[in-house]
Amino acid sequence: MAAPVYPAWVTRWISGQWRQKKRPPVLRPTRPLVLANKVANRREQAGEAMCITEMSVMMACWKQNNFNDTACAEEIRMFYDCVAKAEKERKNQNEEDALSPRGNLTSSKVNKLLRRFPQITRYV
Amino acid sequence: MAAPSAAGLARRLRAWLPRLSQVRGSRYNPSFLEPEVNKELYQKPWEELSEEEREKLELKAVQPIKAAPPTVSSSVFSDPMISKFTNMMMKDGNKVLARSLMAQTLEAIKRKQLEKYHKAPEDEKETIECNPYVIFHQALKNCQPIIGLSSITKGGKTYQVPVPLKDNRKRFLAMKWLITECRENKNRRMLMPEKLSQELLQAFNNEGPIIKKKHVLHKMAEANRAYAHFRWW
Repeated sequence: MAAPVYPAWVTRWISGQWRQKKRPPVLRPTRPLVLANKVANRREQAGEAMCITEMSVMMACWKQNNFNDTACAEEIRMFYDCVAKAEKERKNQNEEDALSPRGNLTSSKVNKLLRRFPQITRYV
Repeated sequence: MAAPSAAGLARRLRAWLPRLSQVRGSRYNPSFLEPEVNKELYQKPWEELSEEEREKLELKAVQPIKAAPPTVSSSVFSDPMISKFTNMMMKDGNKVLARSLMAQTLEAIKRKQLEKYHKAPEDEKETIECNPYVIFHQALKNCQPIIGLSSITKGGKTYQVPVPLKDNRKRFLAMKWLITECRENKNRRMLMPEKLSQELLQAFNNEGPIIKKKHVLHKMAEANRAYAHFRWW
């Protein structure tokens, strides 16, 4: 059947208007209820420091060889490789538009999306 | 006809005057490509080029290209590192003076090395490096720090945390140290090319005050290695 139409007193009874004694509305918005085109900045989860083992190995080598760079060339090369790899990974992680493990995007990504598709405020 | 109002005039004047804050950035369309200054790439015959080089050349025939900046040149004598160093040495926009100082420095290096070469015995002659560009590049590479310190505030206290540096930052630090050292710690009568050539030759042999500064930085990083976990990148 189509949506049933009850008499007016039934709807008023069900809505509880009589119980509430017709109080004024709870919400009195000062600005129009329109979604903003940005979200607040949220503190992201801090990452960990990378390449600490390579760094400590290199420093141990330095201590042994009196901070001579030519003697520790191998360790320094390994450190640089690790740093380059970590940098590339971080860049890849930032570039992809995947959801974080909790299931939400970072606030910067959300802001970028909202700037592309802003709220329509006027119709021309 | 009534005289125009003062407020309207002021408004129109303000609209006509350009805004004081200028946006610092490129005004080129993103589709513009960077110019390729290397002549050898264009002299290669078509068959020798790899797939991606061929694709790039074909793209360049169609896409617009930005104007080459005056500092970039296709001559064999131009070197981007030397240009960067000259720019850092320049004061108040006096590029002519900075370039002449750089030329005199390289000449001084060459003279010193040639003197050493002619005085050395036969078997040692091969070990002496006479090319000032090679000496310059090697000296800069020896001066570059491998690890830097960054101030990180945690729990109200600031710690100096050892952190890996980017390539640009390393190059910048090496050049900056070299220039400040030559400007500050020299005899009043000694000229800049003389002092610079001295420092460059010392850095080439892994000795001298700039290498010492680099070692001091490394020692501090080594002393603070316990704080390395404070980094979050």
